Amino acid sequence: MTAPRGGYFGKILEIDLSRQKYKTREISDDECRKYIGGAGMGGYFLASEYKAHHDPLAEDSFIFIGVGPLNGTYCVSTRTSIVNMNPYTGLLSHAEVGAHLGNEIKWAGWDGIYIKGRSKNPVYLYIKDDKVQFRDAGKLWGKTTEDADESMRQEIDDSYARTAVIGPAGENGVPFAAVIIERFRAAARTGTGALMGNKKLKGIAVRGTKAVPVEDNKKFYQAAKAAKQLAVDKEGWQGIKRWGTAGLLELKHWVSGSLITKNFQTTWYPDIEYIGGEEANRTFWKRHVACNHCPVHCQKYGVIREGKHAGLIAEGPEYETGGLLGSNLGMSDFAGMMAMIELCDAMGIDAISTGGVLAFTTECIDRGVLKPGDLDGVALKWGDADAYLEMIRKMAYQDGKGGKLLAKGVRKMSQEIGQGSEAWAVHVKGKEIAAHDPRGDKGRAYSYALGTCGGDHHEGGSPATQARWGMLNSLVMCSFVGGYPWGKETPGIFTAMLNPLCGWNMSDDEYWTTGKRIITIERCFQVREGINRKDDVLPTRFTTEKLPEGPKKGAIFTAEDTKKMQEATYSYFGWDDNGIPTDKTLKAYDLEYLVDDVREAKKAL
Amino acid sequence: MKSEKKKFPDMIQKETTRRGFLKGAAVTAAGGAVAIATVGSIRPKVVEAATPVKKSVLRYLFAERQNCTGCRACEYACSVHHTGVVRPSIARIHIFKFQNVVDVPIICWHCDDAPCIEACPTTPVALKKDPKTNGIILDEKTCLGAKCMKCQEACPAEFIRANPDTGNPLMCDLCGGDPKCVEACLEQSGNPQGPCLLANKLGFGVNQAYRNVTPEEAGEDLMGLLFYPNKTGERRSGS
Repeated sequence: MTAPRGGYFGKILEIDLSRQKYKTREISDDECRKYIGGAGMGGYFLASEYKAHHDPLAEDSFIFIGVGPLNGTYCVSTRTSIVNMNPYTGLLSHAEVGAHLGNEIKWAGWDGIYIKGRSKNPVYLYIKDDKVQFRDAGKLWGKTTEDADESMRQEIDDSYARTAVIGPAGENGVPFAAVIIERFRAAARTGTGALMGNKKLKGIAVRGTKAVPVEDNKKFYQAAKAAKQLAVDKEGWQGIKRWGTAGLLELKHWVSGSLITKNFQTTWYPDIEYIGGEEANRTFWKRHVACNHCPVHCQKYGVIREGKHAGLIAEGPEYETGGLLGSNLGMSDFAGMMAMIELCDAMGIDAISTGGVLAFTTECIDRGVLKPGDLDGVALKWGDADAYLEMIRKMAYQDGKGGKLLAKGVRKMSQEIGQGSEAWAVHVKGKEIAAHDPRGDKGRAYSYALGTCGGDHHEGGSPATQARWGMLNSLVMCSFVGGYPWGKETPGIFTAMLNPLCGWNMSDDEYWTTGKRIITIERCFQVREGINRKDDVLPTRFTTEKLPEGPKKGAIFTAEDTKKMQEATYSYFGWDDNGIPTDKTLKAYDLEYLVDDVREAKKAL
Repeated sequence: MKSEKKKFPDMIQKETTRRGFLKGAAVTAAGGAVAIATVGSIRPKVVEAATPVKKSVLRYLFAERQNCTGCRACEYACSVHHTGVVRPSIARIHIFKFQNVVDVPIICWHCDDAPCIEACPTTPVALKKDPKTNGIILDEKTCLGAKCMKCQEACPAEFIRANPDTGNPLMCDLCGGDPKCVEACLEQSGNPQGPCLLANKLGFGVNQAYRNVTPEEAGEDLMGLLFYPNKTGERRSGS
């Protein structure tokens, strides 16, 4: 086993919460080159260590907080990737999140943190370089993410430590609970919050003081500097700097016809002018905030200045939060929407799933399938922020009949309610989808239906971009840096950085093969859990109801579209007609160790 | 103007240039212009690179705190300049995140009375001010390091941190008159509010009180300034 030469420390921090012990797990240069890091490395650990149908909440289930080779180097906009088996969907899931945590992990000398076991009492971890402290979190348990974060940093007396915490939702086992990084960023979509709550792990604080080893410093510096300059200059991406992703709210309403509205009933929502980017700019935003070394600074922090929410400091709206908790709930009250976004962060709950669940429930009430009596008397109706705020709080604490019901998520709710509610239950593989209507924006259908995790918005708009995302999520890079992850600059711009950094000679072909390998390994995990072609579809609403109005009026996602999309992806990655990777493909990607498992799953079909 | 000229500067090359430049520092600063003429004999290559440029000598840093996006490009540039690798823990300038809402760039004020130098107990004094650039230069050999840190105690800006390797204090030498952090901040262009770090803005027209605060005070000041309706910075939705 050769140790990596640069870009990696070759060490994963393995933490056992049951015994409160930690040790170093070494990774070889070969593993690094094959799985890169972040989502890819996490997928590799999951697929090679779990047997089929592992219990996601078992004591030996692990959370992998991964970083990539570029984290902590001069490269701009590197992130953190959290990978685990999702207790919500029972499938592999990964979430990529911004802020500074990932780089701090890298500077502490680790290529990732692998957390298993279950503590008896609530604990949090303080990792400073090579040392790990297991600290009592008894006092933090039950606190909102913001309070927990603040007290944790005060307690360890290190104002430069970076944090990840869970809120009441995670503690109470809401399956779509999120991890909140540095107060405003959420690693959601993976159910990691619930898993951490199950492990009695309230949070993590990390501080690192090392430097990442670089094989050829001069060459790497030049390449990273050139890449950064591209992010600074590229014209098409200046809007993100000015407006964040909130600017997309208006754009998708007026132009793309893909702004989700009232549980995906339409994409035409003129009230967007009251809750979109322009309104935020006029009345809310106070500062632009950037992640590590990022010239894009797409986060916007602001404060509500009048009304009953006056004084509320929050981040956003972003496109997803503003879509799911804004237009999708028929909101025209900006302050109310921001209070919801903020409450989701404070409770540590996935804003996307929460928005999906609330919209689904509201439609159920509209159609008379549910009565306010079923929800402890909370009368949800489109645009009523107070009712929604109360319901979010009830969900987070699993309080009452209503809170317990909604915390189950759309799939289980519609199964329980029945009465034809499947027709407006919008989820893919058990997970609520993000804020792009795939009828107006057909590329997104790939991400939702064929993206390995299901329902996510960060998994590609075509088979080739799926491979791009596979690499990007493993390099743990942001997709907003100057658009070069999407242009012809890729993969040249990345191999130019990786080769001098790690001492590799990665070619363009190898770059794409690695991307395909990472997507395929994730797919293998899902296949073992029983996923195949029948699951790679969009919710029935998109295939049976035409868009009633807006720029894409009449658009629908036909069976033909679905078939085309599935076949394109299967053939690009070398999977068979059922979406199962073939033996030949697995061998070509050096994944022989999965051949038996996949054959087994195929037999069960 | 300067940053536009060299969009892809070769940093390593440039660094050598600067060091060479400092070594033969028989440089005059007259009326804000620096003439470079006497470096040639040691490094012929340097002469080629160092065509005479007009540049004012920067004697102070100034941070317009409201404009900071917390991207830490200044920390990156500082550590790259001083050690060649990215390592914010040894960066002189650093970003303090207050209540996770505002970012406060913490800079050396280059105080005229320099309490850090005053406090230094060694003979000869391990700290001295470069008379030309106003940067604080540390003599690593004379410094007592971790067992002393009197300078850290004396620093009104709470700017001085200890080097995690040697235990010695990290002092801002203003990069020999051309602070890399200022350059990096400018390069993160596109910030609609403009760059945060500026050089040489102290004095005329700038309120001295703006700098005489600790990081926490600056953080609270910023919270009050930007997020005014709520002075304590507490959110109300969570309760």
